[in-house]
Amino acid sequence: MAGMKLRGEDAPIFGFNAARADIVDTVVNRVCASARDPLALLSDAAYHEIKRLSAVRGKETSAELARWRALARTAPQLSSQEQAEKLRKLALMHAWDVAGNFDLRVYALATRLLPPLLAGLLNPKSLATSDALMHIVDARGISGSIGIEGPIDVIKSLCSRGTVIYVPTHLSNMDSIVFGYTLWQSGLPPATYGAGKNLFTNKILSFFMHNLGAYRVDRRITHTLYKDVLKAYSSVMIERGYHSLFFPGGTRSRSGGVERKLKLGLMGTGVEAFARTVRAGRPQRVFFVPATINYLLTLEAETLIDDFLQEEGKARYIIEDDESTRIARVTAFSHKLLGLEGSVEIRFCDPLDPFGNSVDAQGRSYDARGREVDPASYVRNRDGEAVVDPARDAQYTRELAEIVCEAYARHTVVMPTHLVAAAAFAHLRRKHPGQDLFNLLRIKGDVPVPKRDLEADVQRLRDRASELARLGRLELVSTIERASGAAMLMMAMRAFAGYHTRPVLSDNGGEITLADPRLLLYYQNRLAAHALGFDPRAVRALVTRGSERPAAGMEISA
Amino acid sequence: MRRRPRVGVVGGGAWGLALARAAARAESDVALFSRRNGGPIPGVRSVSSLADVAQSAELVLLAVPSNVARSVSRTLGDDLTGAHLVIHGIRGLIENDLVTVSDVVRQETPVKRVGAIGGPVLERELSAGLPSVMVVGSRYPEVCEALADGLGSATLRVYPSPDLKGVEWGSALTACLAIAVGYAIESGSGPGLIAAFITRAIAEASRFVQAAGGEERTLLGPPGYGDLLASIAQEDRPEVQLGRALARGESIATALHAAGQRIEAVELVPRLVAWAERRAVRAAVFNALAGLLRDGRRGGDLIGELVTRPASD
Repeated sequence: MAGMKLRGEDAPIFGFNAARADIVDTVVNRVCASARDPLALLSDAAYHEIKRLSAVRGKETSAELARWRALARTAPQLSSQEQAEKLRKLALMHAWDVAGNFDLRVYALATRLLPPLLAGLLNPKSLATSDALMHIVDARGISGSIGIEGPIDVIKSLCSRGTVIYVPTHLSNMDSIVFGYTLWQSGLPPATYGAGKNLFTNKILSFFMHNLGAYRVDRRITHTLYKDVLKAYSSVMIERGYHSLFFPGGTRSRSGGVERKLKLGLMGTGVEAFARTVRAGRPQRVFFVPATINYLLTLEAETLIDDFLQEEGKARYIIEDDESTRIARVTAFSHKLLGLEGSVEIRFCDPLDPFGNSVDAQGRSYDARGREVDPASYVRNRDGEAVVDPARDAQYTRELAEIVCEAYARHTVVMPTHLVAAAAFAHLRRKHPGQDLFNLLRIKGDVPVPKRDLEADVQRLRDRASELARLGRLELVSTIERASGAAMLMMAMRAFAGYHTRPVLSDNGGEITLADPRLLLYYQNRLAAHALGFDPRAVRALVTRGSERPAAGMEISA
Repeated sequence: MRRRPRVGVVGGGAWGLALARAAARAESDVALFSRRNGGPIPGVRSVSSLADVAQSAELVLLAVPSNVARSVSRTLGDDLTGAHLVIHGIRGLIENDLVTVSDVVRQETPVKRVGAIGGPVLERELSAGLPSVMVVGSRYPEVCEALADGLGSATLRVYPSPDLKGVEWGSALTACLAIAVGYAIESGSGPGLIAAFITRAIAEASRFVQAAGGEERTLLGPPGYGDLLASIAQEDRPEVQLGRALARGESIATALHAAGQRIEAVELVPRLVAWAERRAVRAAVFNALAGLLRDGRRGGDLIGELVTRPASD
């Protein structure tokens, strides 16, 4: 099945370049037509850009800063028509900046080279100059390390009947590459996706990203006009049948846990696109496919958990200096990834329509009672007209996001590293009762635990996970389905050994030393939503709630 | 002005009839499905099946007892489409998990755009066309607009709330607390004590709402405070009558018989207490209410004890 030849009609992205100018025009026209107050949009853009560029002063930004300042100064004096023209120019600039590219030759090359390039793609500059390339090329193909399951034939059928939007979980910068490879390996057409502009700063990586249908998302730009352009671009792509990939968590999971809340911006463009095509009388079906990406090890675990542990809200949204930019770490990670069985597990979940209804292979939607429903009925107002209604569509998307999160939970794949970390962290908490999370993580000196105790705990935890799996609430990687506690501990120790900068666990004969509580927390967090591990989110919610002052007159507690 | 939606009412009890009359008063096209044989209502067309309701309305109002909400929704779901808007006026939470009726509608029908009516509106006043206020909770603004357009009139003001869960839980909780208000009145509690009790009860109910995923502040508005304050003067409200009878020392069976109708709050209170215990929600008022409904009056001033209990209790 791998690398099946795809037909152009199944993969509209093959014809993207011919349509690009038209797509950009449509985006700009749409954004400008919906701009009720061009001056407000211009002022908002100038305000945010001046604020951003002032903080990163440098030669290259000073000219840009001056342009924005001039705009802020002059825009209010312009006539309405001139303001509209300014807005159009700005929207056009952003739309071209966002628009991607698809080169079939690059796609063919990439799919051939992807397995060995997987690790190197994340730092091609170093790749080109170091001998790491040879190690990577020598490594065996990654196909044996990636387990893929799910209704692939149904998804394939849907790809020919409408636009498929993949919405996977997000742990690592490896995800878009691993997921792109998974689509190819499964015989599914490539999907376009929004990639952080920081990934385009490297020329070689940029070449691949740009020519494989990725569009650029500059997360530093926060003004409304830019967001409108991004959303319009996504909507237009979906309307035109370009299969898409969003990471609806918005950013990599900092805690290591499975997403329980999603960002709705880009996801919402699925409903909007569908409503627009129904209104235009040429409905383009839209199908959401949730998926989970599960790793035995996470490339950037150390940076991410540190970021998570910073006070919430101060965490960095964009991290540009993590493990994925360091060749030695990428190489070490790739060796681990390629050398261990069951190290990456991808699960495609059942497809949904934009309203959360289940969908069959023919693209028909069904309600919770199994009755066939017409998805177009959800975008009709009480006069029977199909309308685009942002407030309504935001709510549809919120409800879809809840269903997607439920699918994530059911298709989370438990790995031995998660189980062992959960058992070890539970031991740490038992040994230091009453300590809050941050005190636990500050414990210096290695904490020993009898190996047999830990093995027994791991086995008990696996049995509980198996019971949840039997109820359909999560999945287990096949390597641990029948493994003993000792075997699972060994699998995790092998995975941890030699990758992270500090040892996570170390074996001292009859004792296992819990050496890095932070990384234990990170890996056990994957099980927190299933109550198999400690849940820092639940603790934080309690603390937050407890600290809230009651409304005036409501202080009486019962 | 927007076109008024065609309204379908399911349920021929007092509440369903009041809603149908309000829609007719607003000059909406109204279809009513009732299993009871009632006389004609001016401006309201009777239909003979749930399918007819679905056919003849864009906005469907559910006004059936909570214990049949699931079965009625399932049958109705065979004829509804994703284009319908469904709003219920059912004070209840279903089954041991306390599922809201709007969730039941979403589980049993293809409809996504749902809402719930709450607030201090009384069926008697609504039927008579006396000035009234109701709240409609829905996360879909167009659902709130549809109810305002379909029922709103010179004598009925419809306020929207985006907190559907808060409105549904608020309606169910205040129905339970109205029993305690009836009890307090009959026990001779003064206005100050009753006001203190209502304040404390609403604080507790708002904790329930928050734990259920709604917004605490919803209980400070018409679906909570407003509704419970109104119960002080609602002599004929079944929950208030029940509370009064219990304060007089009557048994629960006798009191229910005297009320002459099913009081959903009686079955709901023990389920609320069990739910609160599972989620570690402090529930002194509801615990006391459950004891009252289980054992009847045990002597002593229940309300006074509740209000004067140490805050840390």
